[in-house]
Amino acid sequence: MAKKIFRWKAIVPVVLFLTLVAVLWIIFADRIIHSQIESIGSSTLGTELDLASFQLREADAAMDMKGLQIANPSDPKKNLIEARTVTADLVALPAAEAKVVIERLTLSGLRFGTTREHPARPAPKDSPSRKLWEQTQDWVKQNFALPKIAMQRVDTVKSLVLDPTQLSTVKAAEALAAKADSTRQALTQSLQSLQVKPVVDSATTLANRLAKTDPGKLGVTGVASAVTDVKRNIDQIEQTEKQLEDLEKDVNSSLALLNQGLKDVDEARQRDYAFAKGLLNLPLVSAPEISQAMFGQPSLDYFQKALYYAQLAQRYLPPGLRPLHRPGPKRLRMAGTTVDFPKEHEYPKFLLERGDIDFAFGADTSKGQFKAALTGLTTQPALYGKPATLTASGKIALATPLVVELKGLSDHLGDVPKDQAEAQLQGVPLPKLSVPGLPFSVSPGVGNADFSFALSGDRISGKWSIVANHAEWSADSASQASFGLVENTIWRVVSGLNQLAVNAELGGTISAPTLKVSSNLDNAIANQLRAIAGEELAKGEAKAKAAVDKIVADKVAPLQGKLDGAKGQAAQQLGLDRKQLDEAQKLLEAQLQRYTGGLPGGIKLPKL
Amino acid sequence: MLAILKLIQSIFKTLHSEGTPRQVAAGIALGACIGLTPLLNLHNLVIFSLIALFNVSFGGGMLGIAFFTPLGFALDPIFHRVGLGLLNSPGLRSMWTTWFNTPIVPFTNFNNSVVLGSFVSWFVLAIPIYFLARWGIAKYRATIGDMVRHSKLYQAVTASRLYNLYRLFDPES
Repeated sequence: MAKKIFRWKAIVPVVLFLTLVAVLWIIFADRIIHSQIESIGSSTLGTELDLASFQLREADAAMDMKGLQIANPSDPKKNLIEARTVTADLVALPAAEAKVVIERLTLSGLRFGTTREHPARPAPKDSPSRKLWEQTQDWVKQNFALPKIAMQRVDTVKSLVLDPTQLSTVKAAEALAAKADSTRQALTQSLQSLQVKPVVDSATTLANRLAKTDPGKLGVTGVASAVTDVKRNIDQIEQTEKQLEDLEKDVNSSLALLNQGLKDVDEARQRDYAFAKGLLNLPLVSAPEISQAMFGQPSLDYFQKALYYAQLAQRYLPPGLRPLHRPGPKRLRMAGTTVDFPKEHEYPKFLLERGDIDFAFGADTSKGQFKAALTGLTTQPALYGKPATLTASGKIALATPLVVELKGLSDHLGDVPKDQAEAQLQGVPLPKLSVPGLPFSVSPGVGNADFSFALSGDRISGKWSIVANHAEWSADSASQASFGLVENTIWRVVSGLNQLAVNAELGGTISAPTLKVSSNLDNAIANQLRAIAGEELAKGEAKAKAAVDKIVADKVAPLQGKLDGAKGQAAQQLGLDRKQLDEAQKLLEAQLQRYTGGLPGGIKLPKL
Repeated sequence: MLAILKLIQSIFKTLHSEGTPRQVAAGIALGACIGLTPLLNLHNLVIFSLIALFNVSFGGGMLGIAFFTPLGFALDPIFHRVGLGLLNSPGLRSMWTTWFNTPIVPFTNFNNSVVLGSFVSWFVLAIPIYFLARWGIAKYRATIGDMVRHSKLYQAVTASRLYNLYRLFDPES
């Protein structure tokens, strides 16, 4: 009897089992999608995303979410954004391809900066967004060395002992000395390789031999042979002269580089003076440095966050139709990597066609509301074909009217992705700012703030400014009694000022960024500090210079001599060789004249 | 607890009398898929249905799951590499693009490196697993099978009432 392949009696249990799976899916779908949104959202944003509730309305192709909270990555006790309700109307068809296309998203009761009930969990250490956050923090540390306002009393300039290895002048001077020596050596070798002396000797010998001979006795053949020899030697001399000219050009370039090196050594010396001055903790008296010291860090904090979000957008919303790699789902097994493959004329993996947002600043929503609209947010911008935009505006009638204008653009259609955001806020409560290195802080109160940031390829630009007319300065009362001259001076300047205007500008590229900070305080503080501490500062500067000079003098002093020596050697050797070649050529030309001018009967020499 | 007991029962029964070595080996080879690949995926529902519907040893399937699950965890880094290599392969890109933009297919999660890598590895190893298991079962039954069948532990385990439920999926010889 043939064996049966199919087990018919198992059909009913299998169908029942599959039905059970389907029922379980329907029962737990909300919970599973809820958990997926929290998990994917948290790993994408690099900070905790929580939902209080989630409901999928299959019949309406819609999702209802309540209590959306996104934690602030730099302050786990605060929320970046909180939304009371979120409703998403979905396009049903793409769901069959596991794609989420939201036709319309409505967020209401949006608030910023609310306090969290429980501190947010940090993002997993190996998550791409956490790594990106740390990279942007490192980028700030590596590219911006902000000056510090000294805490030390200026009348107690301490002794200064420098380690030669810390000074860049020493390294620059040693490198230049070695370069000067190698230039001289290279010149000597090049001149030797030109073989000037054998050429000159050969030409002189020929000229002398021909001078002792009567051309009339040589006959036509003899004269022609002599003329050929003379011309060959002249050609050789001319070739050598040409090589000598080329060598002279090379030597001049090398000498120019040596001169530039000397300037670099001078610049290194200036940097070492500044470094040594920094060790003395002398107070800053340059206006731009004072602003950088006081407001550089808060400016960089804003720019770092903006760069993080811009790079996050560029990571998760890549241009073109390249496959997108993202971490796999969390499970007991290894998560792996999930790859999305976008296809032309198909829906992207995620698309938010339009989002309407009603939001309020702070807790008071009764006196007005803001409206915002987000369009075209997608994981595959090339498929959607339009940049993502955000516009928001609103006015609220408080004691000082609060006016907000926001604009954002994320254009990832071309090869170079562009992300930019602008915010203008008037009548906004500005956050308290602490002054690094000083026991002061300023509460700007209600004022105006402008912020803009753009990342286009490698180029970055940003602007952050605040203007407040009712700023209040406060000092740490415990340390106020022990204020030194610097602290006292700055305190006297700032404590009397109610107006605060700070402007910070970021520019350049990610690999070479620049930061300029200015404020209405810098000149006032700088002038005061110069007035009270000018003499001490001059002493300190002199001390710093002397300490640097003591170490670098014996390295720098011989440099000029070495450079002069190299120049002199080049000029002398090249001049001598050229003179010898000229003289030899003249001797040969004289013989050529004698031999060709003395031919009998106007016989012309055959063309050689 | 009941599930564990049932599993032990199935393993014992499978090794001794339920089904021919071929049926047991086929069950093990199919169960290996569920063990080697991450459990909650669409393809495992299909494989499970195949174990139940085809005349292979259900116990063999359970045995395959039990044996290959820890192996799956241990081999995940290798599966990840295999899967990522396939997903990143330029020659296969157009095929993946078509597949993962076709309804239902994306729910298989084959665009995940571990799922794809483990599934492909199982697919390649399924035939060797089948032959190795068939040889092992035959050898076991011919050598120490009888001794184990008469042991007290075997008698105790197979006396459970759950055994009756399990019998429903006995392979028909």
